[in-house]
Parts: sequence; C-alpha cells; structure tokens
Amino acid sequence: MKTGIFICHCGHNIKHTVDVKQLSDYFKRYMGVAVAEDYPFVCSEPGQDMIAESIEKHSLDRVIIASCTPSLHQELFKDLLKKSDLNPFLLRRVGIREHCSWVGDDINGNTEKARRLILAGLYSAAHYVPLEEKRVDVVKTALVIGGGISGLSAALFLSKMGMQVFLVEKEADLGGHVRMLKDYWPGRQDGAAVIEAMKEELQARSNVEIFTSTTIRAFEGSFGNYAATLETPAGERRIVAGGVIVAIGFTAFDPHLKPELAYGRDPRVMTTLDFEREGKGLSLPAKPRVAILHCVGSRDEQIGKPYCSRVCCINALRVADAIKEQYPDSYVESFYMDVRAHPKGGEEFYEDTQEKGVLFTRANVAEIIPGNEALIVRGEDTLFNEPFEREFDLAVLSVGMSPPEDNRHISSLLKISLDKDRFFLEAHVKLRPYDTALKGIFIAGACSGPKDIEDSINHGRASAVKLFGLLNLGYAFVDPFISQVFEKRCSGCRMCEQACVASAIKYDEAKRVVRVEEAACMGCGLCVSTCPSSAVTLKGFGDTLLDEEISAFLEAI
Amino acid sequence: MTAEKVEQNPEIIGFACSYCTFKASEMAGSLRMKYPEGVKLIQVPCSSRVDPAFIIKAIMDGADGVFVAGCHPGDCHFIKGNYFTRRKVAALKEMFDAFGMKERLRLFWVSAAEARRFVDKVTAMYNEIKELKNAGKTG
Amino acid sequence: MRGKRVSSASIAQGLNRFLEDDRHLLLAFEKDARGVNLRAFKGKVEGLSLFNPVFSSNSALYVRRMFAKGTEIVLMLRPCEIRAYVELQKLSQMEREGIVAVSVDCFGAVSSKDEATEAPREAQAEKGLFRDFTHGRFACMTCRERRGVVGDAGVRVDKEGGLWLCPYTEKGEGFASLFEGETGETEAEMLPEGASPPEAEQFNTDMAAFSQDFSKCILCKNCKAMCPVCYCVDCLFNGDDYLPKGDALLNKVLRAGSTDLPQGKELFHLIRMFHVSQTCVGCGACEEACPQGIPLTRYFKGISERLQGLFSYLPGRSLDETLPYVTFLEEELKDAED
Repeated sequence: MKTGIFICHCGHNIKHTVDVKQLSDYFKRYMGVAVAEDYPFVCSEPGQDMIAESIEKHSLDRVIIASCTPSLHQELFKDLLKKSDLNPFLLRRVGIREHCSWVGDDINGNTEKARRLILAGLYSAAHYVPLEEKRVDVVKTALVIGGGISGLSAALFLSKMGMQVFLVEKEADLGGHVRMLKDYWPGRQDGAAVIEAMKEELQARSNVEIFTSTTIRAFEGSFGNYAATLETPAGERRIVAGGVIVAIGFTAFDPHLKPELAYGRDPRVMTTLDFEREGKGLSLPAKPRVAILHCVGSRDEQIGKPYCSRVCCINALRVADAIKEQYPDSYVESFYMDVRAHPKGGEEFYEDTQEKGVLFTRANVAEIIPGNEALIVRGEDTLFNEPFEREFDLAVLSVGMSPPEDNRHISSLLKISLDKDRFFLEAHVKLRPYDTALKGIFIAGACSGPKDIEDSINHGRASAVKLFGLLNLGYAFVDPFISQVFEKRCSGCRMCEQACVASAIKYDEAKRVVRVEEAACMGCGLCVSTCPSSAVTLKGFGDTLLDEEISAFLEAI
Repeated sequence: MTAEKVEQNPEIIGFACSYCTFKASEMAGSLRMKYPEGVKLIQVPCSSRVDPAFIIKAIMDGADGVFVAGCHPGDCHFIKGNYFTRRKVAALKEMFDAFGMKERLRLFWVSAAEARRFVDKVTAMYNEIKELKNAGKTG
Repeated sequence: MRGKRVSSASIAQGLNRFLEDDRHLLLAFEKDARGVNLRAFKGKVEGLSLFNPVFSSNSALYVRRMFAKGTEIVLMLRPCEIRAYVELQKLSQMEREGIVAVSVDCFGAVSSKDEATEAPREAQAEKGLFRDFTHGRFACMTCRERRGVVGDAGVRVDKEGGLWLCPYTEKGEGFASLFEGETGETEAEMLPEGASPPEAEQFNTDMAAFSQDFSKCILCKNCKAMCPVCYCVDCLFNGDDYLPKGDALLNKVLRAGSTDLPQGKELFHLIRMFHVSQTCVGCGACEEACPQGIPLTRYFKGISERLQGLFSYLPGRSLDETLPYVTFLEEELKDAED
C-alpha cells in the first residue's frame, strides 16, 4: 500500500498554529507512507497539480489530505483522484483546521493533535477499498412548501425549466405576507397585484399543481424519492418528489411579548403590519402626533431576539413617509437605535424622509403608557443621555421577523435543523446558503432568516436552480456507504433486522442469515453496532477501521 | 529540591454524528471557539453507529474519557438511530458505574447549530476528567 | 396457580406416552450408577430425575442450532436452562415449532468441581429434598429465579412435597394433556418452607479489583464456549481485531510497546460482559468451566442484573419481551444524557 499525505497550510489559517513542516517531516519517515508534503493551498490549481503529479510519480493507492473540514471541497478532491485514475473513495480527508488549528492556541498542543488526527487518517485509509457511487433514479418533480413570494418565485422558475411542481400552502390564499402590503418600497408596488400576477401565471402552467388550505401530515424517503402525505380539503393525497424547497416565510414579531409597549391594551398602539391594513382608514386628528418605534422584537437580548430583522427600518421609514403624505402638518418622531436603510436607494429614502420633516431621535423606549388624552412614550435619549416623556396620538411599532410558526413541525417532519434563532439552518452561511444538510431539501426566503422581498425572490429562484440541477438528469449519484453482511459470520439472530430503522435488512429462511436491501439502506450503521460478531459492516465505517482510528488517536496501535 | 508534579492532560475521544454534532464542531471551528486539544473527534454517520465495544477498547487503550454525541432525540437524521444510541450508552454507563468509572463516559445531544453547546460540553468534560486523572482516578 | 396433580410415576408415564413416536425426543436429567446426568431420550425414558443437584453445564447450550423440522422435543430442565432456551429462541438459534419447554422448580446445585462437599450428590425423593443448602454454588445461592414458572409449562413442588404440572401456554396445555392427574389449584410454594429469595445487592467493584481477579485468566475462552447465550457462530474474538495472534500480535507489540501476554484478556471479558448483558440468566456455567477459578458469576451476573434492571427486562420471562438493545421508548432514560 502506498499512501500519500498532503498537508495544507491553508495560507496561514493552519500554519499559524500547527507546525506543518514538522508534520510532513514526521510522516515522510513513517512506514507505509510513500510521500508526505505540505503546501500553502492544496485546493488551488497548482496545489491540485502537485497532488496529481505525486499520485503518478509514486503510484499512490491511498491519498490523505489534511486540510479544512471534510465537507468542504470534497467534490473537488474526489474529482482530482478520478482524473488521476484513482477511485475517489480512496481519499481520506483529515480536518486540521476547524477541528485543530482554529480551536486551539498552543502550537505544540495543536501540532501533536494534528499528528494524531493524521495518524488516525492513515490507519483508517488502509481499510478503504474502491467503491462505486450508488446510482439512484430520481423523480423529476419538486415539492415547494409555502406559497409566499419566495415559494411562488421558486415554483415559477422550476416550472419554466420544465419540472413538475407541487406547491403546498396552508392558508386559503397564496401570497403570504406580501399579499397584504399595499405599497411596498421601492416602487410603491401593490403586493396583492404582484401576487395575483404570479398566481395567474402559475395556474396557467400545465406542470404546476397548487394545493391551498393544505398541510403536510407525513414525510418520508430519501433524495430523489421523497414522499409527502398531504391533507387537502378534498382529502388525503400522496405525492412523490425528487426534491423539496421549504419556503414557509416568517411570523411577525408579536408585541404582546413586550407588555410595556401596551400593544393590545390600547388601539392607538399598532404594528407596521396593522398600519399597512388600516393606515389609510385611521381617524386621526388634523395634526396628529405619531411615534414610530424601530427594533421592536429585534436586537433585543432580553426577549431572546438578538438578531437584526433587516426590513424593519425601511418599514418604519415607509410609515413615516405615508403619515407625512396624508397629514403634512403631522408631528412624526422615529425612535431608533440605528437606521439600517441598506437596500439600493435606501439611504436616499432616509434623507428624503428627514427632509419631509420627520424627526429621528436615537433612543431606548422604555414604555408606552395609554393616557386618556394621549399616549405617553417614555424613554431615554441615548445621544444626550437624557430621559424623555412625550405625548402622541398614535404609536407604530416596527416589528421584526420571528421564525415561522411551523418551524418545529417542518423541521421534525423533514429532519432539517433549526439555527440558534430557530430559523432554518443553511448548510453553510456563505458557501451554501440555500442548501440544508439533507441532499435535495432546500430553503428559500425569510424562513431561513430575515430578508426583504427582493432577497426572498432571489433566494427562491436560486434554490429552484439548485434543485433543478440535482434532478435534471433523472438520476443522481449518492454515497455508497451502506451496510454489507458477511454471510459466513452471520448467526442469523436477526437483531439487526429488528433494529433497522429503514427495514432494509431481510432474513433468508433457507440460509438462516440476513442480507441488506441496498436501495433501502440509509447508511446509519445501527445494524453494525447491534451485531455482536461484526458479521455486518458499514462501507467506509467498518469496525476494524474505527477501532484502528481510536487506537491511533491514543497511540496504542 | 522538591519534585513538582507535572499536571497531566487527559485524552478524550468523542464520537460525533455527521449530521448534527460534527456540524456543530465545524461551526465551532469557523467561529474560532477554543476547546482543549486533548479532545479528538471521530466522525460517524449516526451516533447509533457507535458500538459499546469501541468505547471499552478506547478506555483500555488509554483514553481517560469517551463521549458519544448525536442529534437530540426526535431529530435524528436517520429518524430513530439515536434512541438506540441512548439505550446502549445508558447500559454501558451503568456498567461503567459498577466499575466505579461512571464519569468517564458521557452522552451529549448537540444539534448542528449548537456550536457553543458543543464547546461548553466538551470543555466541561475535559476539565472534570483532568481533575480525576490528576487525582489518580483514571487510566 | 392452576395445575395437574402428578407424581414421579405419572410424569414418567406421560413422557413415555410422548416418546412412543420415534420422532419425539426428551432432554432431561437421568440418574444412574454414575450419578445424575443430562440425557437425550428417544423411544422411552428410564431413571428420570427431575432434579440435578450437581451443576456442570447449562443444558440449553446443547439445543443451539437445532433447526430440523418435523421433530418434537420436550425440554424438562432447570429454570435457568429454560430461560436461556427462551432467549435463544428470541435470537432464532433454535427451531421454534415442536419444542415444549418445561421448567422444574430448582433447589440449587453444587459445582461439579466440588469434590469435598457433604451436600447430597444424588437426587432424592421429592419429600427429602435437601435443605439448608450451604454448599451451593454462588450462582445458585444468589438465584432469585428458582421457581419453574418459565417456558411452556412447569413442574412445581408444593409445601408438602407434592408435584404439580402447570401449563403456561397453549403448547403447555397440549403437553399437560399427556399426563393423568386431577386438575386443581395450588400455591406451589417451594420447599424448604420459608426460603425466600436472597435480597438483591447491586454489584459494585472497581478496575483494580477486576484486574486482580482476572489476572489469572489464560484466555482459554471456556467461559465463552460454555455460556448458553454466547451464540455467535464466529466470535468477534476469533479475528485479530481485539485479540491479535501471530504476526498481528507481533506488529501490535512493536507499535504499542511492552505488553502482558496473553494480551487483551480484560478487553475480552469486558466486551463479552456487555454483549451477554441482555440475555445472561446468571447460571454460572462460565465460572463452572473456568480452569482458573475466576469468580466470573459475580461479575457477569452482577453486571447483567444491573443492565437488565435499567430496562426492567428479565431474560427468559417471556418470548414476547423484546431484547432491550433492539427496541426503545421515545420517552425514557432521561438521566442518560449529560
């Protein structure tokens, strides 16, 4: 066996706290290692070339790359092996960045840890065998959960690319929150009209089936073959989809959670969404005094909402603008922490609003007290460090975005994770913001975190494109890490069969042994840990392999 | 001259499931959170892959502590795997308890977003085991 | 408890009726000039002994891998042996149809290795069953499952020493119909009167004591060979993973450093302890077979009882009770998490 070990500096991300030179020197002399090199960026083109040359020069049959965490650049390195005529499953990744250099400060401790990690990789790679990627047929249909702006965008894109789409919406109407916006910024667009147009376009398309007033009762399957049981008004319906886009939007922050603001106790306190609905019909005095509060339900550690909701500053500006439009002599004061008018044209909008005479006071509002004559807003001006108390006829709370109310339900149905704020967790915040940890399940729109309408539309389209790419060929390759039975060792006790969650193990009455149904096997390895005689193994994660990994870590091998 | 006792550092082996705990450990790395170098992770597809025989062997090979970490019950990517993990690890803990070494085996549920929780759990375990080791109660 | 009033004679009679069909077999104890032995009877039964006061092995060991169909076998054995048989059934290690398991009340046994004992070495008439059994094996003295209440039927002994055949399943009912006797209700309290099971004490030890106790182990693996529920046809320890041999051993020593030989005995026992923890019936066959006199019963029975207790599982109690490690409850073991 000839193993090559390639240790990445990752610029100075690894090199900074791990002595890569010492490591490559150490492994150069290690038995069974044909070559050991360290290199600035192994993922770079010259880095890859260096590895390819090494594979050829030393006739390597195992490649160990010690670099960033295994899930990054995996396809890149597997392709590298393929191009060098080596089975891609003879590659072993060792994570010495996220799991070593970035989590420790002491160079000696880190280097020793990296040495052990690479040693463990070396011993486990010795057990790797060439594997063929499992080819599965995938169904070229998509399930889009949520008929709001991002779900509609995703569905349209998918349909136009030729994919059958099932769009499921739990309300009676499509459109989510956008439907109720009367003139959303910047173009002063009518949300309902935008939604209607999209809805008409979708309904006219032959490859789209829309379910409203529908929920999802059950969900199962794996990438390429998911099956969802829908509860529709017409009864139960089972659909099969190759992939899923979760676009269930957000819930507006409920100001009842901040009782000091008197929301719900006095009709003169309303949210920006309430204002959207009732604003024009409000009966206010001729020169109304209006308070607008920013960051209600956002940037608030006390109630467990530390994040910024991105859209509420622009919303607040819109309300200020609308009041000034309707009541030119009004007194409008916005209480803010920061004004984050980030979209294109936002800063200009902010300036225009100020020019219209809207006052901006940097403050922490402590409470709103409903008085008989007026609302009393009490707080602290944070620029002048002075408390204040002022009277208003109307207080509009610019509420933030909270996670959608079905987040836990969908999360546990589909087995996708939630992040610390309980929005859906993306696979990687920068590199894979539309993917979830599960292949074939994507997220779009505000359900993955606060975003405005533009971003939601783009997010929906991006997820659609990614999903299309996965399913378009009608087949896909999945990792071959499934279980395998060694008949000669099997006692036929059937414990693995009883345990198997996927019902992928079947008993052969005649031979009195079990066998694995490859198509159903999910690759969890439960059967392997259940079997006392190691008669069943999990490809890539066998008992001997893991035992040696442990021993290598402890230098007891 | 009095010989100063050198403080020994424990060796901790942890099994982390690919879909939850390992992801949390990756995030911990991305966020540059620090935890002791003595903690070494072995990636498994599911915490249910962990065979108690590994854990016993790890202890016999010199590990001062072992932990098994996976998704919270009900959230397992393989749907029910971690319920089985819980049974086997609870049983092994009972066995370790009978041998007076209960603290050397731990079970954590850490979801993919819980980088801080991961770091806190392994650091606490490391510190407790370090104390035990230096009091001569492990290995 | 409902049963049929029987006697040694009527039992033998009924069994002979069963053995008329020469595809029928009986596995039970027999007394002859040499003493009491396990015997497989065909055709007819002579010298039947309901009790065997000497323990050399757990008889369930011998029914493993019997899969031929078309025979009917009656097992008339000790409770620990029937319990082991039930566990083997759960593990599909024996044909299910046509086997009738009958457990007989047990009064304990002495070890077959114990030459010096004054305890009775012959089975006596039911009324003279030995009392004050202080020379019994550790496994028997600490046994809390001496009553013949497992399997398809049981032979119970009442306070007066009378015998009852009590069916527990449909199969047992069919079996009981072979015997003549009046049906009635009995309390079936075992002799000696007032003998209650010993209090369960939770097993506790430490690694130092364990190391000391097992230092004599020569890795002959007799304990594994004689354990009725150690059923693997190709044991994990046959390979080189945990107990390397030959060049594999050489390589291990060269890489890992100085090591005691035989290497891996503690690992062997600890892993085996966990593996059998689901199904161990505490019979002590392991200790019986150990040439070095290691107190295996204390460890294996002790650990198994603790682990089984976690899941309220009793091996052999019922065929319908699922093995603990292949099932779960969604809400349980909240303390397991750290």
